[in-house]
Amino acid sequence: MSAPAVPRKRVALVIGAGSVKCAAALGLWKVLKREGIGIDMVVGCSGGSLYAAAMALGYDAEETEAMTLSMWNRKVTERRDYGSLLSAFLPKLFKFAGHFGMVHGEPLIEALRKPFGEKTFADTILPLHITATELASGQQATLSSGRILDAVRASIAIPYIWSPWEVDGKLMLDGCLSAPLPVDVAIKEGADVILAMGFESPYPRRIRSATSYAFHVNSIYTNNLFRANYSFHNLAHHADILPIVPDFGEPVNLFDTHKFAHVIACGARATEEHLPYLRQLLGLPTDAATETSPAR
Amino acid sequence: MDIVVEQRAPATVVRISGSVDGLTADTLMATLQQQIDAGNTRLIADLSGVSYTSSAGLRALLATVKQARSAGGDFRLAGVLPPVHKVLEMSGFTTILKLYPDVDGAVASYPA
Repeated sequence: MSAPAVPRKRVALVIGAGSVKCAAALGLWKVLKREGIGIDMVVGCSGGSLYAAAMALGYDAEETEAMTLSMWNRKVTERRDYGSLLSAFLPKLFKFAGHFGMVHGEPLIEALRKPFGEKTFADTILPLHITATELASGQQATLSSGRILDAVRASIAIPYIWSPWEVDGKLMLDGCLSAPLPVDVAIKEGADVILAMGFESPYPRRIRSATSYAFHVNSIYTNNLFRANYSFHNLAHHADILPIVPDFGEPVNLFDTHKFAHVIACGARATEEHLPYLRQLLGLPTDAATETSPAR
Repeated sequence: MDIVVEQRAPATVVRISGSVDGLTADTLMATLQQQIDAGNTRLIADLSGVSYTSSAGLRALLATVKQARSAGGDFRLAGVLPPVHKVLEMSGFTTILKLYPDVDGAVASYPA
């Protein structure tokens, strides 16, 4: 009797929170394509959800780059939500709704409509999971069905900037609040090899305003959450997690879209560092003759 | 991965070259386990020749730390290169392990 065949390793890509930095996933995507390395599922959180969704829907890296350049600009944040602001400062008079966001959500929805429209998770060519955080319970929510636009909007609902977004009757906030790099979703969904692209928030060199102080404090929270979560997932997983953490060499802020090319190149370089081991793990040829490698 | 074991009283230095990952973790753990079984529980891993590690490799290091400490000793790291240090930091290892710039410093950290 022949020995049972060794099952093929299931590969997951997890793209964590990181605003514009998440475009580094396009560099990763290009390297995997070039090497003929396929993935079996993709998970995205916050800014990472945009790229995870685009990949799962079959957009290529160039299309996705053009798409994010056209949608991710100051137009999505320049319109203030005065109703929400008034309710925050005069809650009784303007009937505070239990949450608020300084920026009006409509321009963001318009921007998301272009790539995602009415597309649902059923339209993807790869299993896709997007994470958000339930406002009421603080629990992580994994969104894997319904409209992708709703899931992405919920996942990027940065507290105080944008209002939470309702999905399945529950208000959802940024996935970063529960798990900035949701490796746990890939583990639960049965991945073996997990490519975990994560980003820590940079600290400002100088704190010169209450706003930058608030950002600094928020970065402390999220960076510590990032590490605490990753530490646990790293030990809990039965197989291997490859932490792909690009070094940008300079601060990359929320709307630094002019740094896209640099961010993407850094993502590609960070991925290249893992290639020899990744190829070995997947049983692929480790020489340079990669063009003939079978796509998975 | 190459492993060389050297006695540097009062410690045992395990010099590792190559990658500490899922493909090498078993070999590394077996070598470290042998040292602990032989009573050499004051261990030092010289990682100055290691430029890559993954979660499976880190789990091997953690298992060794727990065994060494249970046996009354410790497992300390020396010469950790920046790419590996970054992963150790991200994984919380730098909060529970003692790290030294070089092997001499790590050896001196154990009481004679």
